[in-house]
Formats: sequence, structure tokens, C-alpha cells
Amino acid sequence: MEKELTMPKLRPEMESGVLCAWLKEEGDVVSAGEPIYEIETDKVVNQIEATESGVLKKQLIEEGDTVPVSSPVAILETK
Amino acid sequence: MEKKPEWLKVRYNQEAVNEVAALMRDLKLNTVCKEANCPNLGECYRKHTSTFMILGSNCTRNCKFCNVTCGKPEPVDPEEPMNVALAAKKLNLRHVVLTCSTRDDLPDGGAEQFAKSVRAIREVCPGTTVETLISDMKGDPASLDIVIASHPEVLNHNVETVKELQSVVRSKATYERSLGVLRYCKEKDPTILTKTGFMVGLGETEEQIDRLLDDILETGCDILTIGQYLQPSPQHHPLARYATPEDFARYKELALKKGFRHVASAPLARSSYKAWEALEDVHDLY
Repeated sequence: MEKELTMPKLRPEMESGVLCAWLKEEGDVVSAGEPIYEIETDKVVNQIEATESGVLKKQLIEEGDTVPVSSPVAILETK
Repeated sequence: MEKKPEWLKVRYNQEAVNEVAALMRDLKLNTVCKEANCPNLGECYRKHTSTFMILGSNCTRNCKFCNVTCGKPEPVDPEEPMNVALAAKKLNLRHVVLTCSTRDDLPDGGAEQFAKSVRAIREVCPGTTVETLISDMKGDPASLDIVIASHPEVLNHNVETVKELQSVVRSKATYERSLGVLRYCKEKDPTILTKTGFMVGLGETEEQIDRLLDDILETGCDILTIGQYLQPSPQHHPLARYATPEDFARYKELALKKGFRHVASAPLARSSYKAWEALEDVHDLY
């Protein structure tokens, strides 16, 4: 089953975020709890964890792209 | 934005965050984790822990380092003390940290709401320890007496920065008043552990930090936290530097050598981060 991973709202006033690095490549197996990508906010770099296990099927954006909160960033193939 | 060093990476799990956030919303509670945009929120919420911020989310002060919103204060919620206790029970917290927005508009600075919250936690969660992380309550002994009489295990009040940067960073607070709060509480009830914390990276010097440690220790303070200042937005006090983990280790060694009983010193150490560890460490010695 395909699941869309979306840009999280890391702080109440956040409207968009910059994906600064991919930690998993397309085709990589991802376990729940493993970080998939990084988003930089004013204070820190947040490593966003997978909430389900699966295979990273598609990276929808590139490193450095700014994406609105709740927009899709990747597709995870789950069982 | 300056590139973040490797040691400022944190993990974030949306599902774990949603769970605690929903509980807080249901009980109409605020956490300083959310209001201050704490970098440890993801980790702490995942571990089912948080720091309650009582007396509303709007602060009557506008300190240049802090992310909490300055705005019109909200009416004090009479249900809040019991809701805090119920949330603490649901989260199965063994140590509850209560903090507040600074309420200069209230005659007692919010002291009574602190005391009521401590009492509610005692009633609902027997055996759970409590830490009150208070504002300076304008240094008013009558207000401080109310908090002291509720007898939290730990009474925490942050000095935030060195003497020389106080007026720039905390416009309505003073160094002497904050030290006075710590000293007064310790003298009034020496069985309560006192605790304070400060940030590095605001522009302070090593000599100023050394004097700060001496001044805090002179109040009889037991527990100290030292963490990296993280600039919440371009409108806040500018970041002067990122101290390294080695710098924090050095500050810890220095503080322990001077006589503090417990020191948490690390880039992402915060006032209430793993607060129970400090209490357990010091309680064994007590």
C-alpha cells in the first residue's frame, strides 16, 4: 500500500519547511522509527522519523526545496 | 542562517507528538515544550513526558531570548490545577515540572495557582515529585511564601544569563532579584532543593560565566542546568556562538568543582530536560 509522507508542522507558526537532506534513498528499506529526512528550523535540524515500516518508493522533492506544511514529500510502500 | 552543528540534530516522530498534543488539548493545558518551541519536544513527547505551563500561554514580559508569546494575559483557569494533575496521571509522570508565563498583572504573580497545582498533584498522583519552575514573581516574599508553603521537592528559577547581559536579554527582570529569589527560598525552607539555569551563546565571556557560577552558588543553590541559546527567530537576540559539547563538559566540571550538587550541561540541556535525573541524583545525597 502506498502512503504519502508529508511535511510536518514542527511549530505552531510554521507554514513551510526546507528539506535539507535525504537520509534514505529511493528503494531503501525503512523501519518505523528510523529517520528518513531532515528539516531545518530556526533552532535545530529535525530528523523526521518514519511512523511505519516500508520501502521508500519515491522522493517527491529535492534537497533544498521549500515545501508547505502537509504537502507530500515522499511515497512509502508499506505492507 | 548559520549552518547548524552536528550536535544540534534532534529526532521527531509525528505520531508520538500527536498523542501528547491531543491530551493537552483535551484538558485545555499548555506546555512550555510547545510554546517555547523546545528542540527536545519530539524526544520528550515520545517518552510521554512534558512540562506544563500554567497561567496561560501569553506572557506579560517580552524577553529577547524567549519564544513564548507576549500578549494580553488570559483569565486564570480554576480547572487548571486539577487538569494538570489528571494529565500527569494519564502520562504516568514520576516527576512533574510546572512552569508558567510571567504574570505581572496578577497580585501574587500566579503563586496561588502554583500552590493549587502542587496540591492537586499530591492528591491525584501520590508519590509523584513536583518541581516548580517559577518566574521571579517580582521578588515579592509574600508570593514566594505561597509557593514555598506548597512544598515542591524542587524550586527552580532561571537566572538565564550572566550579570552583564541581563538588561539586554531580560528587560523586566534583574540579576539581583533572580539571585534573591533563589536565596530567599533556600533560607525560608532549606529542605526544598533549589535549582537554576542559564544559556550560553548570547555573547557572554568565560570570566562572566565564572562569576555567575560563584554568584549562584552563594545563594545556596543545589542544581544547575547549562544549555545552548538557540535563537527562536531573526527578531530575537542574535546568536553569538555555538558552544561545543567539550565546552559544556568543561562548564560542568567547573561548576561541580565549585560545589554544585548536580549539573546538567549540554548543548540541548534545558531547565526541565530529564529533570527527574537531577532530583534522584541529589536526593540520594540528601
